[in-house]
Amino acid sequence: MSTKNDRHNKFDVSSRGGSLFAMRALRWLCPPVLYEEIEGDLLQRFHRECVTLGEKKATRRLTWNALHFLRPGVLLRREWTVSLTSFYMLSNYLMISLRIMRRNSVFTAINVLGLTLGMTGALLLGLWVARELSVDQFYDDADRIQIVWNRERKSDSDVACWSATPRVLAPTLASDFTAVEYAASFADYNDSYLFIAGEQRVMRNQGNFVDPEFLKILSFPLISGEVNSVLGNPNSIVLTESFAKLLFGGKNAFGETLTIAQGDYKFPFTVTGVLKDLPDNTDFHFDYLLPFSFIESNYGKEENWQNNSVVTLVKLKEGSSKALLNDQIRDLKKKNVKGEDTELFMYPLKRNHLYSRFENGVPAGGRIEIVRMIGLLAVILVVIACINFVNLSTARASRRTKEVAVRKVTGALRGSLIVQFLCESVLIAAMAGVISLVFAYFALPLFNSLTQQHLRIPWNSPAFWLYFGAAVITVGLLAGLYPSLLLSRLMPAKIMKGVWLGQGSRSRLRSALVVLQFGFALTLMVSLIVVYKQTRFLQQRSVGYDRNQLIYQYLTGTLTGNPYAYREALMATGAVASVTCTSSPVTQRMSSTSGIAWAGKDPSDKTVIERFAIDQHVSATLGVEILVGRDLDLQHYPADSSSALINEAAWKLMGFENPIGELISDSGREWRIAGVVKDFIFTSPYRRVEPIVMQGAAAGQNMTGVVHIRLVAGRSAREAIEAVAKVARTLNPEYPFEYHFVDQEYARKFSNEKSTLWITAVFSGLAIFIGCLGLLGLSTYMIEARIKEIGIRKVMGGSVIRIVRLLSMHTLRPILWSIVVFSPGAWWAMNWWLQSYEYRTAFFWWIIPAAALCLVLLALFTVVFQILRAARMNPVSTLRSE
Amino acid sequence: MAREFLGEFEELVLILVAALRDDAYGAAIADEIQTRLNRDVNLSAVHVTLYRLEDKGFIKSSLGGATKERGGRRKRIFTITSAGMATLKSMREARMDLWKLVPQLKFSV
Repeated sequence: MSTKNDRHNKFDVSSRGGSLFAMRALRWLCPPVLYEEIEGDLLQRFHRECVTLGEKKATRRLTWNALHFLRPGVLLRREWTVSLTSFYMLSNYLMISLRIMRRNSVFTAINVLGLTLGMTGALLLGLWVARELSVDQFYDDADRIQIVWNRERKSDSDVACWSATPRVLAPTLASDFTAVEYAASFADYNDSYLFIAGEQRVMRNQGNFVDPEFLKILSFPLISGEVNSVLGNPNSIVLTESFAKLLFGGKNAFGETLTIAQGDYKFPFTVTGVLKDLPDNTDFHFDYLLPFSFIESNYGKEENWQNNSVVTLVKLKEGSSKALLNDQIRDLKKKNVKGEDTELFMYPLKRNHLYSRFENGVPAGGRIEIVRMIGLLAVILVVIACINFVNLSTARASRRTKEVAVRKVTGALRGSLIVQFLCESVLIAAMAGVISLVFAYFALPLFNSLTQQHLRIPWNSPAFWLYFGAAVITVGLLAGLYPSLLLSRLMPAKIMKGVWLGQGSRSRLRSALVVLQFGFALTLMVSLIVVYKQTRFLQQRSVGYDRNQLIYQYLTGTLTGNPYAYREALMATGAVASVTCTSSPVTQRMSSTSGIAWAGKDPSDKTVIERFAIDQHVSATLGVEILVGRDLDLQHYPADSSSALINEAAWKLMGFENPIGELISDSGREWRIAGVVKDFIFTSPYRRVEPIVMQGAAAGQNMTGVVHIRLVAGRSAREAIEAVAKVARTLNPEYPFEYHFVDQEYARKFSNEKSTLWITAVFSGLAIFIGCLGLLGLSTYMIEARIKEIGIRKVMGGSVIRIVRLLSMHTLRPILWSIVVFSPGAWWAMNWWLQSYEYRTAFFWWIIPAAALCLVLLALFTVVFQILRAARMNPVSTLRSE
Repeated sequence: MAREFLGEFEELVLILVAALRDDAYGAAIADEIQTRLNRDVNLSAVHVTLYRLEDKGFIKSSLGGATKERGGRRKRIFTITSAGMATLKSMREARMDLWKLVPQLKFSV
C-alpha cells in the first residue's frame, strides 16, 4: 500500500514544477465554479498516464492538457470582478507616501533632485542616441537601398575601403544587372553657384548632381512635381522648400525658371520639383538637386572608370539576392580597367551612418561605438541616482519599522507592504520624471548647441511617452526593489520588543554601492581630464602656416577668368600683402591620388598623396616655410606653371636626396620640383601630416577656383576687407562679395572635440554632483544615528579633531576603495580612446591621482561642515533627552 | 425559440452522456471516445462541448463523487435532459430516413 500512497502524494500538483505553473495559471484564470472538476479530470488522467506512459511523459502531458484549458470556451465563462479594496489601499499608500515625503523633506529633496538630474541627463542623451539610431532609416524600402563601396588590397595587412565611385558605375549597374531596380550617382562637387531668380541673387554650394532615379531610391517627399519626371530634362532643378522660398518668396516655385551662373557661364533652369525640407536625421544635406544630364549635355559623358568622384546608390529589386549581385559586381572595375585591382561591394544604406568604419576590408564598427558610450553614460547617470535612493531608503529603514509593524499586526501581507514601498519609489521616480521633462526642455537649447544638433522633445509622439513612462516606472521599481524587500521582511514582534536586525551586511551593501557610484565618477573625471588635455594638445599643435589676417574667397563671375587683374587691383589698394590662387581653401582638402609617379618609385607603393594646386607666392600668402629651393614665382620664372612644391612628408616618401629639379608626373602631366615646404596641417589636425604635392598652375585655368589673400599686418582686418570688397565689387559687380577667415575655418575642425569636451564636462559634473548629494544624505543620516555616540565620546574626553577624523574616515573609506577598484578601468578606457587619434597627447600617470584627489576633496567638502557641526555640538544637548 | 442544432462532436458527446449515465463526466467521456472510437481528443474540447450542451439545455450537471485518484476533487456529473433525449431521437430518426434514400448495394465482390 505504501507505494500507492507515494504515488498519491505525487498527484499533489504543487510537487511538479512545470505543471505547477500551468495549473496555477489555470486556477487563476479559470472560472472558480468549473475549476474543481477540471483539475480533478486533469489529475485523474495524469494518474492513468503515469502508469501507462511513465511519470515524465505524464507530467509533460498534464502541462499540455492544462494549458489547453486556457481557451475562450472556458475562460469566458468567468465573471470578472474588480476588487475595490486594492484601489482603496493604493490611494492610502500614496497618501502615506506623500506624508512621509513631506516629513522628511531633506531626504525627499535629495532623492528627487538626484533622480531628476540623472533623468534629465539621461533624457537628453537618450534623445541624442535616438536621433543617431534613426539616421537614414526612414526611406521606403530602406532595406533594399545599398551604397557601393570599393575595397583595395594594398598589402596583406592593409586593405582600404572607401565609398567614392566612378560616375559611369550607376548607369552600368542599372542597365547590365537585372537585380538592380534603380541606380543613381550622387555627386558633391561643392561648387558655388549664383542663383538668380528675378531680383533675388543667392550664392549656394549646398547642392548635388544626381541621376533622376535618386528620388526614387531615397523617398524624400515632394511637395510639387512628379517623382518619375522630376529631373528628366537637362535644364530642370529640384529645390527644397526653404530654398525655394528664399528664391521666390511666397510665390509657388513649381514651374518657375531661374538662372544659375558660375564664372562667365549662365544657364536657365526650370523648377520641376519642390522637396519638403530634409529631416534632421539624414546624412544627405542639400538645398537643390541638378541632373547629371545637364553636365553630360554640355561637356559629354564621363566614362573614366578610374575617377572616383561620386557616391553610387543602388536600390535592389524586391526579392533579389544581394549576395548574388555582390558576386556579380565584384570585378566590374577590373573588367573595365586594365591593371585595376579594386573590388566593388554593396553596403546597406541603413548601416552607413553608424557602422561604416572598415578595418582591413571588414566592417569594424564606427560611430556606433560613440553611440554606445553615450547610451552607457545615460544609464550610469540614472544608476548613480538610483543608488542614492537605495542607500537613503535602507539607511532610514529603522525610522519606518514601527509603521511596518503596525501594518503587519493589522493584517498586512508581505506582498502588500512590498507594493506599498514600490508605490512610494515609483511616485518619487514619477515626480522626478515630470520635473526632468521641464529641466530637459530648458536645457535642450544648450545641449543642442554643444552637440550641434537640432534635437527636440517629441511631445506628440506616443512612442516617446511610452518609452519615457516605461523608463520612469523601471527606475522607480529598480530603486525601490531592494528597500521594499528589506522593509517588508521585518518581524512585528521583534520590532515591538525593540530588537533591530544587525546593521552589518546592509551598511556593507551601502558602502559597495557608494564604491560603484564614485567609481563611475572617477572614470568620468579621468576622461574629462584626458579629453581636455587632448583637445588642448590638438589646438596647440603647430599649424605650419599663419592663420591670422588671412582670408580666402571662391572666385566667381569675371574674376574666375582673369584673376591677375584682381590681384593687381588688390595689391594696388595697399591693404593686401600677397595673393595666391589655389585649387581649394588651405583648410580643406579637395583631391588626392595614389597615382603620382616619380623616379625610383616602388610600383607597389600605393600611398595616397594630396593634391593642392597653386599659382605662386605660397610662402608669402600662407606663411608656410620653404625649407629647400624656392617658392613658385610666375613673374621671374614663367615656366613655374609646370613646377611644383612638395612638403616634407612627400620628400620623405619619395626619398630624394636632393629633390630640386626632380620630375613628378600625375595624370599625364609633368612637374619639376622647385622647392620643399615645411609640413603644415592641410587635412586633419588629428592625423599625421600627409604627403602633399603643390602643383603649379597658371591661374585662370580650371584648377584654381579659390583665392587666398594675405592682409597687410598692422591694419585692422575690417578696413582691409572693406578695401578688398570695394575692388571685388567694381571688377565683379554681378556677384555678392563673400569671404572666409582661415583662422575661423581652421577652428571648425575642432568642433567635434569641443563638443566631446563639453559633453564630458557637463555630464561628469552631473554624475559627481548626484554622487555628492547621496553622500550628503548618508552622512546626515550617519550623524543622526551616531549623535549620542558622539556625545558620549566627548564626555569621555574625545577631542573634536579625533571625532571629525572618525566620521570623515567613515565617509571616505568607500571612496578610497572606489579609487583602488576603478583606476585600472579608467586607465584602460582612456588609453583606448586616445588610440583613436594618430596625433595624441601622452597619458600621464599623474592624471589618475589628480582625478582621485579632486574626488576626495569634493567628497570631503560635501560632508565636512555637517561633521564639524556635529563634532562641536555640546554633549549636554544630545544626551539630556534620556 | 429557434430549434438548436447539434454538431457532429456535440451529438457524440451527448450520446455518451446518455450512455454513461451516472458516470458521465469530462474525463470519462474523453476516455470513452478514445477507446471506443479510437479518436484522439483533447480533454478541454470535451469539457467545452459539455458546457455548450448545458447552455443549450440538453444536459444538466451536478457535483459529486470525489475519489482519491482525483486528488480529492469532485466530478461534475452530467445527465441528459428530456429535451436532449428528444433531440437525439429525432436526429437519429431523421438520419435513418435519409439512409433509406441511399441505394443500398446488395452485392459485394
